[in-house]
Amino acid sequence: MTEKDHSSSDDQSLVRAAQHGDTAAFEELVSRHRDKLYARAFSMVRNEEEAIDLSQEAWVKGWQRLVQFQGESSFGTWMTRIVINLCLDHIRKQKRQRTESIEAMDQDSGGVERQMPVVVVNPTAGLERAELRQRIDKALGQLSYEHRTALVLHEFEEMEYKEIAKAMDCSIGTVMSRLFYARRKLAALLADLKKSDQ
Amino acid sequence: MDFEKQLKLQAFLDGELPEPEAREIANWLAQDQQAALLLAELRNTRESLKGAEAFMPLPESREFYWSKIAREIDRLEPAARPPQAKPSWVAMWRRYLMPAGAIAAALLVALMVVAPNRGADSESEAAMSDPGAFTYRDYSAQATLVWLSYPAENEIADGERADTLQ
Repeated sequence: MTEKDHSSSDDQSLVRAAQHGDTAAFEELVSRHRDKLYARAFSMVRNEEEAIDLSQEAWVKGWQRLVQFQGESSFGTWMTRIVINLCLDHIRKQKRQRTESIEAMDQDSGGVERQMPVVVVNPTAGLERAELRQRIDKALGQLSYEHRTALVLHEFEEMEYKEIAKAMDCSIGTVMSRLFYARRKLAALLADLKKSDQ
Repeated sequence: MDFEKQLKLQAFLDGELPEPEAREIANWLAQDQQAALLLAELRNTRESLKGAEAFMPLPESREFYWSKIAREIDRLEPAARPPQAKPSWVAMWRRYLMPAGAIAAALLVALMVVAPNRGADSESEAAMSDPGAFTYRDYSAQATLVWLSYPAENEIADGERADTLQ
């Protein structure tokens, strides 16, 4: 028996075929969107192995729930939501296992970010795209899970406050303060990176 | 500047404020230089992040990455295998044999009732817990016949394997 070549099919056709049990069509979908899913998982958990495992788990969940996909959003967006939810569950589990740290106590009450001076000069002005990406990635890695996740969901996934609150299982007020501290901390980190250049 | 106002400033930047409150913040910004500076910082950070997500290719080959997903799908959902093309002759035969067996068992019971003089040296029994099993004992012939109207488990497995291989 010869397997159908799915490389020229669009996502919609592949999803329909996969909904009828065609695993080769599903494999093609995995191949197309795997980098994006892995990158999203990595941006949230900041660990290569965990990001691979979580993205694979998301694909298995996607396969199991494929009949529920009605095409209201793109398939890639639908799968990204699945991996985000898995990462959030993973982070919650990890947090429960960790002992309470000063960072955890400070994350919603403000910590030092509330008193930080305003960064007047744009610390990323004039940077090449590759350099900018590298610095942002480095700065994101220094944020707490909660601050980074709020920022990633808002800036990269373009989610509204209420959507983030639902995903992170917290109030809109908490999302607003997490986002605020994340942005302020990021500005300070980027300013520090600029200073270290000079 | 209180924290509540700082958060409103951010919501203003993100377009999350209702119109009357957004107007209020715009008026405040025109009068408060510190607020304007904070808004500029928040805006710079937001603009820097636009399209600046690091490209992160998956550090595994397509085949290796997919193999784990496929294994897990198979483990959780063996029904995901492609549907069987045709039923085998074993399955077809069994399909007709089972009702025929049930009819034969019913006839045997009827015969026992119609010929009661044989009841002295024979008996029949149908277990309530298993309607598919029927037992007939003939003491004079020292014989016991057990009729099962369904196939044994290993037969089902064999049949399925045969179907799959076809």
